[in-house]
Amino acid sequence: MLPPREERPTNSQQRAIAQRLVGQESLLVDYVQKLERHRKGRRAVVVRLSGLQAVNRREHHIRIALNSFEVLVKQLKGQIFSLSNSDIVFIFKDTAIDEVEAALVKLRFLFSDDPLLADEGFAGKATFMDWYLLERDYDALLQYALHCSNEEQQRKSQELTKSLVAQQGGARSFGRGDPLTPQVLSKIEDGLVRADLANMMRRQAICAIVGKAPPQPVYNELFISIADLRETILPNVNLASSPWLFQQLTEVLDKRVLSLLNKHDDRTVAGDISVNLNVQTLLAPEFLTFDDNLKASMRGTIVLELQKVDVFADLGAFLFARDFAHDRGYRICIDGVNMESLPFIDRERLGIDLVKIVWDPAMAAGILPNGDSLESYMRRCGPSRAILCRCDEQDAIDWGQTVGVTLYQGRHVEAMLAAEAARARGVLGRRR
Amino acid sequence: MNLPVPDAAGPEIVTQESLLLGAAERIGRIRQGRLAVQVFLSRLRPQNRQDGHIRIALRMLEPMVNAYRGQMFLLGNSDIVFMLKDPNPVDVENMIFKLRALFSKDPLTYDDAGDGMDKFCAWFDLGGSDYDSFVDMARTVTQQARKRQTDKGTVKPPAKPLDAKSLGGVLERLSSLDVSPLVSRQSAIVIKEASSTGEVLFQEFFVSIAELQKALAPDINLVANRWLFQHLSLTLDKRVLGALSTLALRSIPNCYSLNLNIATVLSKAFEQFEEKVKGKAGLSVEVQVLDVLADSRGYYAARDRLREKGHTVVIDGLNELTLQFMDVSQFEADLYKVAWSPEMREGEHSDSVGSALGILGVGKVVLARCDSEAAIQWGQERGIQRFQGRYVDAMLAAFTMASCPKAAGCTLQQCIARHGVLTGPLRSACFDNDMLDSSPVMRVPKARHKEA
Repeated sequence: MLPPREERPTNSQQRAIAQRLVGQESLLVDYVQKLERHRKGRRAVVVRLSGLQAVNRREHHIRIALNSFEVLVKQLKGQIFSLSNSDIVFIFKDTAIDEVEAALVKLRFLFSDDPLLADEGFAGKATFMDWYLLERDYDALLQYALHCSNEEQQRKSQELTKSLVAQQGGARSFGRGDPLTPQVLSKIEDGLVRADLANMMRRQAICAIVGKAPPQPVYNELFISIADLRETILPNVNLASSPWLFQQLTEVLDKRVLSLLNKHDDRTVAGDISVNLNVQTLLAPEFLTFDDNLKASMRGTIVLELQKVDVFADLGAFLFARDFAHDRGYRICIDGVNMESLPFIDRERLGIDLVKIVWDPAMAAGILPNGDSLESYMRRCGPSRAILCRCDEQDAIDWGQTVGVTLYQGRHVEAMLAAEAARARGVLGRRR
Repeated sequence: MNLPVPDAAGPEIVTQESLLLGAAERIGRIRQGRLAVQVFLSRLRPQNRQDGHIRIALRMLEPMVNAYRGQMFLLGNSDIVFMLKDPNPVDVENMIFKLRALFSKDPLTYDDAGDGMDKFCAWFDLGGSDYDSFVDMARTVTQQARKRQTDKGTVKPPAKPLDAKSLGGVLERLSSLDVSPLVSRQSAIVIKEASSTGEVLFQEFFVSIAELQKALAPDINLVANRWLFQHLSLTLDKRVLGALSTLALRSIPNCYSLNLNIATVLSKAFEQFEEKVKGKAGLSVEVQVLDVLADSRGYYAARDRLREKGHTVVIDGLNELTLQFMDVSQFEADLYKVAWSPEMREGEHSDSVGSALGILGVGKVVLARCDSEAAIQWGQERGIQRFQGRYVDAMLAAFTMASCPKAAGCTLQQCIARHGVLTGPLRSACFDNDMLDSSPVMRVPKARHKEA
């Protein structure tokens, strides 16, 4: 995992505004919902101060903008909401329309030097404010309010972690961070609903490497970069600090990944791929939808990677899911097998297709902790059934070849592939 | 598939069952060539008929039902009924075979009723003589469904599953909860062949999760999410160790046995408890298979540390399946706790479990959850000497009562219940707490060895 990025400090004014405006978004949602039966004769205007340049939306600017509506609020002619993104929402009765117009003229004048307003008026563009006639546009206004409220919640949860980090002070060394607690997990789960996972999706090839021949990709593992995820949703949380909560997080991620794969064009899922899933996910509706969406013609070999802990957590459920997946033509791989847990994973007995073994330099001695030989394990497992993963160095492959491993994955394998591709391009170039 | 109308108003509630009955009646005149099958998924063990299982079963059947212009109904009790028009019987046979294989770990698919009836499914030749019995069946299930609907109001809603959001609050409450009233104990015994005696091997101290749930969060199902529960158990470990350290036991057991996470074994709280019982009682620590696999490196470290201090390491949570699918002996523990289940007596299963136990060494096995004499007998036939479970509780209570001068005032059930608690009114109701705490040596009948 990459070390967390430097936090950009929020300036004190921004923080002060955020503090003062806490909860306005949800108040807006409440208010709009209450108006559902009282739409007639009501209007709303959203003043998009958020679109102004930063120099034009300092705290005092916003205060001035709010003040221009104050009289109307005092006369009970309307209700004002000041959102944390600086936008102002004013909801009022038709009868106050002229006074509102007047207030808006003042606002326009106030910000007339901002590019946002400079463009206004051309080709009917009105980017500075949006009007809603509740009788007609009620749904759109509600959508807008909900959107703001969601954004605010997400921002707040990030703010909270940042301030927690700030309280505990100082820069953190790599691999440390705030512990993953149920509260933090719950926030991550909420954040995941909105996070765009598509750009966190990575692929890494599982390659056949035999002798000195260049690596041949066999299939690609698709996975969410946990480092990116952490960066985006909750920087400075050490996800490894609680293995069980992390395991729970992976179940939540599973469903998001499946829906992502469902949305993607066929190229992502085409060809031979592997995805990490939990046993429970295989029995969930999301997986059945995924299965439905794979066009038979496009379907290559799909390997489902299950964590060893998950498999043994409920063997009955695993066996059931295994049989179903096999019936549907999937292959099953057990992931995350290290030297210590290797003796417990009997591929044939478990009825699985592949075992993914985490490379450990200590393997070079050729002996498992229980004294058994790794070579005989690999022989029992089958030569094309074991994958040596996290091969970050040539040593891994050199050793793997001595015990008959033919499938490899890892940074070094990626580098070999890239070098091979460059070489091939070179050869082609010369031919031309 | 036909979907029920959710919460349909009116006196006649539309259920899958009533839709089935409607369909059955409709085809009365055009039943030539039609076939119906009822798959009795309701007869599966609860853990094998959760939503996911049923969903997959429906999914398996769907293409065939569509191909034969059929209809499928999922009844409220999880049974599936499907009707087909002019099917190729081989297709149907194959599909049922597949489905049966999917549930092959459940006794439903391998138990022999002895009457030649298939317990997994029933076929109805609707064009032939089975139409009436099919309609009868549909009528019966419709009535049952209606009854379930009307009973619904009186049944309290099920507890919400534990989620990340609620776990925070639960942990907070747990960290300030006095768990000592919730701590129960259960003895395991070792039966010595040579002297025909049984004596207490250890007393396991644990918190019943049902009780814990009642005390902490009655409306939350704490075990609904395995991973979150595992996380919770880390805090629970500390609370139990704390409670046991402060609890003034009238008599200390010869050997404590505790269920702990590997992380706890390597913690300060455990060290403190260790100090407390040092020189007074033995200590055995039970760790879960799941925990060992999650952190094998940690397990080996914890195991060696425990052994160094002279404690016993027990692998808990083994059952027929784990014995079958993994080489349990690789744990290299002192004892292995295997949960007894009646299926272990069945021919094929008995053999596979028997051979797995052989590899493990029956001398290292504690047969747990022995709730009947049959369990003890099965174990003894295979050379197992260590037992735990409700039947063992009853044996111990019966033996206590036989020698207790105050026994005339109590029933066996009372004595069993009082044995299980450490404090509270149940224990106070006993006239002789010393008898209750004693670890008697019992006379036990000789094992009848299975003829090879």
